[in-house]
Amino acid sequence: MQKLKSIHRTGFRIMKMIHREDSLIIPLHLLKVALSLTQTYAGLFVTAEMIDALLLEEYRKAAGLALLLLGIGLLLGLTEQLLRRQFKGRLTKIWLIFYVWLREKAFSMDYETMENPEAAEKLLFSERTSDMYGGLGVLLCHYTDILQAILNIFLSVFLVGCLCASGPRGEFGLLGILARPLPSFLLFAGTLGGMAFCAFRGFGKFARRQMEIFQAHTGEEHKLMYLNQQIFGEAKVGKIIRIYGMEEMILHNSAEFGKRARAYFSASCDVGRAEANANRLVNAFFTVVTYFLVALKTVTGAVTVGAFTRYAGALNQFGGACFSVIAKHGELQKICIYTDEFLKFLDTENIHGKGSIPVEKRDDGEYELAFENVSFRYPGSEIPVLKNVNCRINIRGKMAVVGRNGAGKTTFIKLLCRLYDPTEGRITLNGVDIRKYSQEEYRGLFSVVFQDFKLFSFSVGENVAAGYEWQEEKLWDALRQAEADGFVRDMEKQLDTYLYKDLRDGVAVSGGEAQKLALARALYKDAPVVILDEPTAALDAKAEAQIYARFNEMVEGRTSIYISHRMSSCRFCDEIIVFHEGEIVERGSHEELYDAGGRYTQMWNAQARYYV
Amino acid sequence: MKEAEMKELKRYPIWSNCLYTFRALRREEGTRAFAVCVGDTLCSVLLPFLEAAMAGAAAACLVSGKAPWVRLLMVAGYILLLQGVRFLQGNLKELRNKLFFLFRIDITREFERKTLEMDIQSLESAGGRKKWEAAQRNLYMGNGAGIEAYAKSYWDMLANLGGLAVYGVIVGRESGFLLAFLVLQTFIVTGFHLLAARRTYGMEEEIEDIWKEFRYLRRESILPGNGKDIRLYRMDRWFPEAMRESIRKICALIDREENGYMAAGMGNRLLTFARSAVVYGWLIREMLLGSLGLPAFLLYVGIVAGFEAWVRGFLEAVINIFSNEKIMKSYRDFMDYGIVEEGKPAPGKQGKPHEIRLEHVTFRYEGSREDTIQDLSLTIRAGEKLALVGRNGAGKTTLIKLLCGLYRPSSGKIYLDGQDMQTLSQREIFREFAVVFQEVFAFSFPLSENVSCAQAGTEDGERLRRCLEKAGLWERVQALPKKAGTSMNQDMDKEGVTLSGGELQKMMLARALYKDAPVVILDEPTAALDPIAESEMYEKYDGMIRGKTAVFISHRLSSTRFCDRILFMEQGRILQEGSHESLMKQGGAYAELFALQARYYQKA
Repeated sequence: MQKLKSIHRTGFRIMKMIHREDSLIIPLHLLKVALSLTQTYAGLFVTAEMIDALLLEEYRKAAGLALLLLGIGLLLGLTEQLLRRQFKGRLTKIWLIFYVWLREKAFSMDYETMENPEAAEKLLFSERTSDMYGGLGVLLCHYTDILQAILNIFLSVFLVGCLCASGPRGEFGLLGILARPLPSFLLFAGTLGGMAFCAFRGFGKFARRQMEIFQAHTGEEHKLMYLNQQIFGEAKVGKIIRIYGMEEMILHNSAEFGKRARAYFSASCDVGRAEANANRLVNAFFTVVTYFLVALKTVTGAVTVGAFTRYAGALNQFGGACFSVIAKHGELQKICIYTDEFLKFLDTENIHGKGSIPVEKRDDGEYELAFENVSFRYPGSEIPVLKNVNCRINIRGKMAVVGRNGAGKTTFIKLLCRLYDPTEGRITLNGVDIRKYSQEEYRGLFSVVFQDFKLFSFSVGENVAAGYEWQEEKLWDALRQAEADGFVRDMEKQLDTYLYKDLRDGVAVSGGEAQKLALARALYKDAPVVILDEPTAALDAKAEAQIYARFNEMVEGRTSIYISHRMSSCRFCDEIIVFHEGEIVERGSHEELYDAGGRYTQMWNAQARYYV
Repeated sequence: MKEAEMKELKRYPIWSNCLYTFRALRREEGTRAFAVCVGDTLCSVLLPFLEAAMAGAAAACLVSGKAPWVRLLMVAGYILLLQGVRFLQGNLKELRNKLFFLFRIDITREFERKTLEMDIQSLESAGGRKKWEAAQRNLYMGNGAGIEAYAKSYWDMLANLGGLAVYGVIVGRESGFLLAFLVLQTFIVTGFHLLAARRTYGMEEEIEDIWKEFRYLRRESILPGNGKDIRLYRMDRWFPEAMRESIRKICALIDREENGYMAAGMGNRLLTFARSAVVYGWLIREMLLGSLGLPAFLLYVGIVAGFEAWVRGFLEAVINIFSNEKIMKSYRDFMDYGIVEEGKPAPGKQGKPHEIRLEHVTFRYEGSREDTIQDLSLTIRAGEKLALVGRNGAGKTTLIKLLCGLYRPSSGKIYLDGQDMQTLSQREIFREFAVVFQEVFAFSFPLSENVSCAQAGTEDGERLRRCLEKAGLWERVQALPKKAGTSMNQDMDKEGVTLSGGELQKMMLARALYKDAPVVILDEPTAALDPIAESEMYEKYDGMIRGKTAVFISHRLSSTRFCDRILFMEQGRILQEGSHESLMKQGGAYAELFALQARYYQKA
């Protein structure tokens, strides 16, 4: 009972959300129910009357009834077509809007929460199951079907009652006794009871088995996608597979996966078939008994031959409706499992509350940032990535961050931009803890080109402007500063040229060009702090030299942080901090650090020795 | 589709695709599959007939005038028979559907093998990518499209034809005129539907484009690596808005499609009304004339109502076959494309450092308007250490793909120890090369498989250890939860581990070491490494390529110092060559580039 309540609590909450998105969709479905029931019962009554008229050889009346039957069919049929025209589009919208809801929630959450594999898994689980069952619209359809079935049961029970209550006309021996109201009631009630018993027990069992198999398979689609898209469908891996003769190994792994998938689908089909078979058996039993009952009433003269069709039809409706309630309810239960996950996801709260202080707008760029005893571990990890970092970032200064792979440089940046919050200590802006500021405004202070920056398959202009207003002149300005204006001008549609081939027939940009576009995006944002993380890794020496030469102009009047493995970049920064195993171990100008002969000197020499 | 492509697909006529499909079905699922299909088809014809005839049969029993209990048993017997057939049909239909589903899964193996074993140049070309994309639709489009739906449709067509034959005979025996009338009516109804379907078909491309956009937005907006940029550049509002816009467009198109179906549906309703009026009128007249009893009346009502369903079912099956024809053709076209010629000899001197000679080699990517490699001649001596430098896009990576036989020159020849590479077995040529490509990634399989390139358990454990040690990855591997058996990434194994860029580069080096091939090619292998790791890596390369032929590409000119000869490439040509010292002395492009980089390292 508790479970039943929780299912419908979930269901009704979703229905409310659907209603909010499209206020017409539920009334339209209700109308459909009314139409469908009218059609069924009008058909039953009129057909029965017509058959009786034919038997009595009242052909004129029969023809009139036939015309009535067809007329009702036509009228309701045309209305149904009008209704149906509305459904597909609206249901598609409900299905797809679900993905938007998920994203809106995801974006409103902390970056840290969303990067956590568990949260991502919750989101993906909801998505996958939604894909599989056809989305939230299906929930609405199931509810509609259940409502229709319940109404149907009410209507048909009345007819069935009439049937059972009728008594035999004449003497028929044993058959006559059976055809009396009480034995008929008993027969019908007994069958119904038995059927309900079997159904409730059986359906529960099958639903559980289905669920077990389904849950054991969670994540398998992801593997299929990986194999199909990242290995077989990925152009860049083919050469490696061939050069290293990996064919058999990969085919073996894929075949192993295929075997599991096959077993899963096979088992799932078998359970489905066993369930349907059990269903069919119970249904067959019910049908045979009920027809027997109606035939009994007919041969004993309790009802007319014409009424045979009406009552047989009503019993059919009754049986069908009972099954529909049970089956659809089972489906509802299945869907509620993923919608539950979805609702849980919507209800997830941010670990770190969002601050609210607005960031003071300053034209002079006087934003002073400082790390105070900051330590950091990634969520779920024991290993400290940053250890007690103290550092003041000079206003309008040029700072270089160097260190070995994994020393904590990129994490330092992520904390600074408040993608993560420190485990210990605090980061301040003009003396105030950054957690107290409005997150969005705070992030507005930073233009960052990450090592693994990302461009999208939109136009060049959209990529550079990103979430900010499109201003053509400013766009070109940013492109020019990033040394990207040349190749963009060479493109046929310039700013409107699409990137990549995912969507439209866009252009493929090389790694170096992409890096320049990412740089342009950062400059377009025009934030007071510019951070570049390995911005020249994919560039050749000449392109790199051009960026270096422009660097001063790019960051003019701003605070800048430059991370690079190419030690040469330290030469045009005022201050260098050296990270080692999560700590700042050295700090100073190039000359100071070089003369100190520490880690910095070591790294410098490792690269410089080839050039001197 | 372009005309040339259409012509190419003409090679696969419908009968040969049908044959191809059912041969594959027999190969993968055995002859039992056919027994199930035949049984299902028979039941599918019988069941609707029994259902349509039920009202008539029941009436016949009830008004037959026999003893009440006989009449009762007759009705009950008929219902029992009907239920029996229904049970059988339902069961067989699901068996059949399962069978075709599994068939699609099983046949995927053949497609995967093809993808891995076909000629790589063909596969990588723009045309090849397109063919692959088109072919995979045959297997990965769900139950409703591709080979599964295609094979099923043939049986559906058969069942509907059978049903039509039975119904046609019944109606036709009573009245040829009525049969003709029914056929005409169904043709008009079908015409409506085809018109609506064709309208939809015309919009297909338009709607598919928007779907693609929606799927892209959906995927990219939550891809783990994208979150930072999305949040920092305020795209977190932009994405949902763009998705809503896509949805609006999709629904508008669906509504437009539905308008067509609504018109067709309404026309259909009107026609059905007219048809039923005629049929009822005719039947009642016959009864009035006394030539028709009630049971027959009810039988005809049922048969006439069912007639249309058969025609509809038949046409649906045919449409299904034709709409999947295109996919089948693309699939077969791909399966016959880029076949690697078998039986070519292996190169001589296997395992010895080879000499590679290029003579007037030109290479142009398919569909490109410029040559990427232009009339390039070059001899790499056995055991020589060669560096390739030059700006982005100079053709360095393309050149190494030519060297190791992945690509064939558009003109000119490449010789391996004097033997024309094109006359040699590609697979055997590959054995002679160990290449570390630019792309830094691991296959989401166990680390041991990533290094040994053989199924886990069949690798040489000692050799694996040695290579991991040499690559400087052994300690890290020992610290992994399942050591070398640990899966990489979380795609195939939730317990997998993600290595950092530097570690991945070491793993790729270990892979090359494990292969121990006589020619080693390294394409920009240190881009992601810090200065110390980079410098260590150089030292490792030094040991690794001793006694082998080696080619080295890097943007960091410093790294080319340990090579015997440096080639400076520009626009697909060799602009300068020589040792570092001689090139520096010469001045020119190389010296300029070197100075650019070196400037920052000189003492101020």
